[in-house]
Amino acid sequence: MHGLFRWSSKWWPGVIPLLILCIIAAWTSTPTVEADLAARSNAALKDTVLDKRRIAVDGRDVTFAADAFSEDGRLSAVASVETVPGVRRVNDETRLVPEAKPFVWSAERDVVRVTLSGSSPLPSSKGKLVEAARANLGGVEVVDQMSLARGAPPRFDNVALLLLDQIGKLKDGKITLTDSKVSLAGMARDLGGREAILAALKNLPEGYTVAANDIKAPPYVFQAYKDPVAVTVTLTGYVPDNNVHAALAAAAGRKFFSEKVVDNLKASIGAPQGFANAVVPALGALSRLSTGTLVVSDREVKLSGDAFYDAAANQIRASLGKDFPQVWQYKADISVKPASAPVDATVCQQLLAELLSRGTIRFESGKTDIAPDSAGLLDRLIETAMRCPTSNIEIAGHTDTDGDEAANQALSEKRAQAVTDYLVKAGLPADRFTPVGYGSTQPVAGNETEEGKAQNRRIDFVVK
Amino acid sequence: MANLATFFWGWLLASLLLGLGTGWIAVVHRGPGVSKTLSRWLALLAAGLVAVALARVVPGRFGYWLDLFLIMFALYLCGCAVGSWLRDWVVSRSTPAG
Repeated sequence: MHGLFRWSSKWWPGVIPLLILCIIAAWTSTPTVEADLAARSNAALKDTVLDKRRIAVDGRDVTFAADAFSEDGRLSAVASVETVPGVRRVNDETRLVPEAKPFVWSAERDVVRVTLSGSSPLPSSKGKLVEAARANLGGVEVVDQMSLARGAPPRFDNVALLLLDQIGKLKDGKITLTDSKVSLAGMARDLGGREAILAALKNLPEGYTVAANDIKAPPYVFQAYKDPVAVTVTLTGYVPDNNVHAALAAAAGRKFFSEKVVDNLKASIGAPQGFANAVVPALGALSRLSTGTLVVSDREVKLSGDAFYDAAANQIRASLGKDFPQVWQYKADISVKPASAPVDATVCQQLLAELLSRGTIRFESGKTDIAPDSAGLLDRLIETAMRCPTSNIEIAGHTDTDGDEAANQALSEKRAQAVTDYLVKAGLPADRFTPVGYGSTQPVAGNETEEGKAQNRRIDFVVK
Repeated sequence: MANLATFFWGWLLASLLLGLGTGWIAVVHRGPGVSKTLSRWLALLAAGLVAVALARVVPGRFGYWLDLFLIMFALYLCGCAVGSWLRDWVVSRSTPAG
């Protein structure tokens, strides 16, 4: 042992080459060691979910920066790097992903793209949402502007996927999830899209609520066009169902006595409340026009066209909205058709007879009130009567043979009087018209059949 | 550290051999030695460096280089001790015979 001390005093000459060796060893091995430690640290973190991971190795010291999604995850990630063999020190620069309060996620759709923004709880859910958006909305560009944050409500992924499904039903709009509250705004792609989205939102997990739903559906449009040249009425657009469709077609058949009804209606859900109650009277108003267009868009009714004479235009304007359900809006843009050239008594009689051969003035059953369906026919009769201002006209009421003869006589007189009153109200001088009741004494068809009886129940205009 | 040795086992071996050589020569070397006082200071310095290395207070590459130097130096000393002891053993065996 004593010898070892003695000899050691002579060991110094080797220290100089040793130092040279050390310098060369440090020079050559440092980059290799650093690269190896970086690779093994990254491998150790392979299965750990982290955001913005950055590993820098300086000598054997690892600087480890990352955003973790929980405190446990953060600590275990640091521990995994610390246990990598060869690592001397770990400079822990990890932190937790910031907590979003409130946690907001949104999906916005415009014509060409869907933008996902706000917060997402994990990189995996972020990826899943982008994937789902691409799959659901084939061909639409998906822009991912989501950042990662803690504090997502429970079952966030399921809810976000459900909401992404709804984005597919929108033409444009935005769905926002704020904590557990869902708000929607925009325009549905199809009629009924709004209802489909509402139905789907019923599947939201417990605890989630719809805070605002401002989804608008495309307007529910019904149109009717009366063409005096082709003598047609064309119905286009939507009706709520087949029953309403049949009812509208029947009403159009009654009101447009001489025109052919071209029915291009399609059934679709999404009709505004009281659709049929508004459309039937509006069709009645259209039937009184010489030419006109009726457009019903959601709860807005627009009627434009030419009435046959001034009083009719005023009546139509005044009565259009009267029978509509509340909150319906209407606009009547009615002008008056230029007066037709005057005709002599013979032509006048021909024109009146022709009109009455195509349609009959109808009354409420057993009463003297003129049915609203006959307003169109009466307008045409009045217009014709105005063309022969010097002729006097007998308004002749007829009935079938059903019932008591005296009652029939009285009814025919009263009905002839009602028509005369109608004409006078329209502005024709009262002294031109003579109401006469003939009861069932002048049948034009046999009273044995229902058809014959119907032909016998009539009002005739006879030019004197 | 053990697996890091794979990167510089050559250098470790070289310092061990350098130590063996120096130790081998030191037994019969006639030149001046290090004085007792200086060797104490040197030992103190070495102990200080070891303490610094163990405490891991030197950061980054300098820390790594310090570790590397100390390991190579330790192996050098081991080599010296073994070399000197071997030479002494050889000398003491050959002297009676000579």
